[in-house]
Amino acid sequence: MPPRPQWRPKRPIFLRTPCPRHLRFTSTTTGAPELFDVVCVGGGPAGLSLLAGLRSNPSTSHLKLALIEAQDITQPPRPVAPGSYSNRCSSLTPSSAAYLQRIGAWSQLDRSRVQPYTHMRVWDGLSSAAITFDPPSTSPIAYMVENTNLTTALSSLITSLGGVHTFSPARVSHIGHGPTTPTHDLSSWPTLSLSTGATLSARLLIGADGAASPVRSYAGIPSRGWDYGRVGVVASLRLSSDSAPKTAFQRFLTTGPVALLPLPGPYATLVWSTTPERAARLRGLSGEDFGACVDAAFRLGMVDIDYLHTMSRGQVEEVAWRKKHTAYSEADMPASVEAVQDGSVAAFPLKMRHADTYISNRLALVGDAAHTVHPLAGQGLNLGQADVAALVDVISDAVSTGGDIGSTLVLEEYVARRWGANHAMLGVCDKLHKLYSAEWGPLVGLRSLGLRAVDKLGPVKGFLMRQAAGM
Amino acid sequence: MTVNLAIPRTSSVVLRLTRQCQCAVRANPLAGQRTFSVLNRPTPNYEGHVPLTPIERGALAISSAIWCFFDPTRADLIAALGEATAQPFPITRLRDAMLRSPTGRRILRDRPRITSQSLNLPYLRSLPANTVGRNYVEWLDREGVTPDTRSSVQYIDDAECAYVMQRYRESHDFYHALTGLPVVREGEVALKAFEFANTGLPMTGLSIGAVATLKKAERERFWSVYGPWAVRNGLQAEEVINVYWEEELESDVEALRTRLGIEKPPDLRAMRKAERERRKRERQEREAGLRS
Repeated sequence: MPPRPQWRPKRPIFLRTPCPRHLRFTSTTTGAPELFDVVCVGGGPAGLSLLAGLRSNPSTSHLKLALIEAQDITQPPRPVAPGSYSNRCSSLTPSSAAYLQRIGAWSQLDRSRVQPYTHMRVWDGLSSAAITFDPPSTSPIAYMVENTNLTTALSSLITSLGGVHTFSPARVSHIGHGPTTPTHDLSSWPTLSLSTGATLSARLLIGADGAASPVRSYAGIPSRGWDYGRVGVVASLRLSSDSAPKTAFQRFLTTGPVALLPLPGPYATLVWSTTPERAARLRGLSGEDFGACVDAAFRLGMVDIDYLHTMSRGQVEEVAWRKKHTAYSEADMPASVEAVQDGSVAAFPLKMRHADTYISNRLALVGDAAHTVHPLAGQGLNLGQADVAALVDVISDAVSTGGDIGSTLVLEEYVARRWGANHAMLGVCDKLHKLYSAEWGPLVGLRSLGLRAVDKLGPVKGFLMRQAAGM
Repeated sequence: MTVNLAIPRTSSVVLRLTRQCQCAVRANPLAGQRTFSVLNRPTPNYEGHVPLTPIERGALAISSAIWCFFDPTRADLIAALGEATAQPFPITRLRDAMLRSPTGRRILRDRPRITSQSLNLPYLRSLPANTVGRNYVEWLDREGVTPDTRSSVQYIDDAECAYVMQRYRESHDFYHALTGLPVVREGEVALKAFEFANTGLPMTGLSIGAVATLKKAERERFWSVYGPWAVRNGLQAEEVINVYWEEELESDVEALRTRLGIEKPPDLRAMRKAERERRKRERQEREAGLRS
């Protein structure tokens, strides 16, 4: 009788060697892996902010840090023409701005391309209910920043602080467990093999690599949620006038919210969540017709907006006619669109995802790798920054008390601080999206009543503003 | 040193208040109904517009409904009832139905009016017998009416909705030509039932109450034949408000009916005539029987 194969106990899920199909690349191991305290996969706002935060914090500035980014961030950014803005912009809340200021990144931003705004107007597409935010103090509600401006500022900060080994451009070809050498037992250390041939072992591996995070797949952490069946159409627009005070406008149409956020000068960025078919129609329109559709989205009734999406051209004239016969107050509307920046109209699919947990042994997720949210409240990047602030705190506490920064005992504090708060924000944004997608008469009446009530109740409005600002 | 005590005169105060209300009404026509009173009417939104408070509107609706139930020849009261009951939802729904259709949108842009000047009646008389225009002008001549007998819309606040109501009123005669229903009380009730199922205006639904004033035989015919026909066709047909009548004058009536999805109802005039003949015959037989 052939000998039975020896039964080996299965490793716990967080220690198992991963290798889902999509990660099975050729691994090249040349010599012993280089050891790092923190390896951050992903050079987006979350990853860069984390490394900058660790370097600028005195208790963690001695840690050996590495950054792995697939795109080449070592090159200086291409100069942009004045009046030309990237179509991927984010609204930074005061708490994110405060964190960036604390780590020293705020001064690195190109401030001429940052637009603080002090007023916000949000209203319903089916009724005339509206809520306006105009804080009594001069502190802004949020700051509109191009994503490239932020990442460039963080990169420059990291370069000026030094001490971060940057592997860019480099892709992670394999993540596994480290070898056991005569001097080190790296069997619990995540070890990465890069496309450049380098291998790194991390005391703590940070996954800041976006919604389809390979680090999260490696850890075997499920991410639950759903697709909204909507896409976000973004564009950079030039408006007919530069309005003061700078106001953010958002209208909840039945297909999704359309938001026009102010940029410096007579420019604005558009985020329009709509169905994929309508997004395809919008992207096929000429610049003038697209601008007319944006104007219509804020001013006209849903019947007209639906009809405009059935036309392949001629929206300019149609919207001009309908504006004369629709009752609205021009003073409450954003300035009309004069031109669309060439090539700035793009679309990205919208979904909600939340990872079951943010940590594993010697592994933590931040930013979009941990959660993806609907853009209607402008929270996506800010949740990531709050994650980073909490993680930097947790790491610095661990270092000051002599803890192992990669152990789940230390990292659980990070989950405790962030998971619940993120889940609540994801939930609220999801329910708002569902509430404002409804067309049933009584529900529209109820939500309009609720919106008007919140608009009149100062304390409630103040509470909601503080929650959205991350305070 | 003189101090300029500029005490505003009453008339300028009233003017200012009226202007404020006008701004409120312009911003949202429905908001005007809450902020104005009998002494403080807003300015009209279009020529002939008479803004009403909700109480006035309710009183107009009730009183005109009662009066034209007893005297259905009062077309002006029927019109007033229609306008008083059409706001805010039914007329808006009808306007949105026009906005959803490309033809309806063209009608709203062009705003054609059906008057004896805009329609060339002698030309319509010369058209072939199966055309919409010829049917329409024959109907006008038979009933002895002109397109100018329709009253203007007064009580609808939004100018565009007022045009939609006017268009509906002026197209009513074309609906007679389209369906072939005569202008006798029975035919009008059947047509109103069809219009209610198709346009949803409350006045057309209330007009079905005139069934109570019909003779027994007519009532039976309504419930068994014309009522079901009206409901079935009104619901399944296209919106008749979206028909650009000025462009359909030379179309074949049957072809238009097929395009809209309307079945031709049984010929009411023929049925009534047959009914009259039958009764006359019975009466003659009865008299002959008594004499002999």
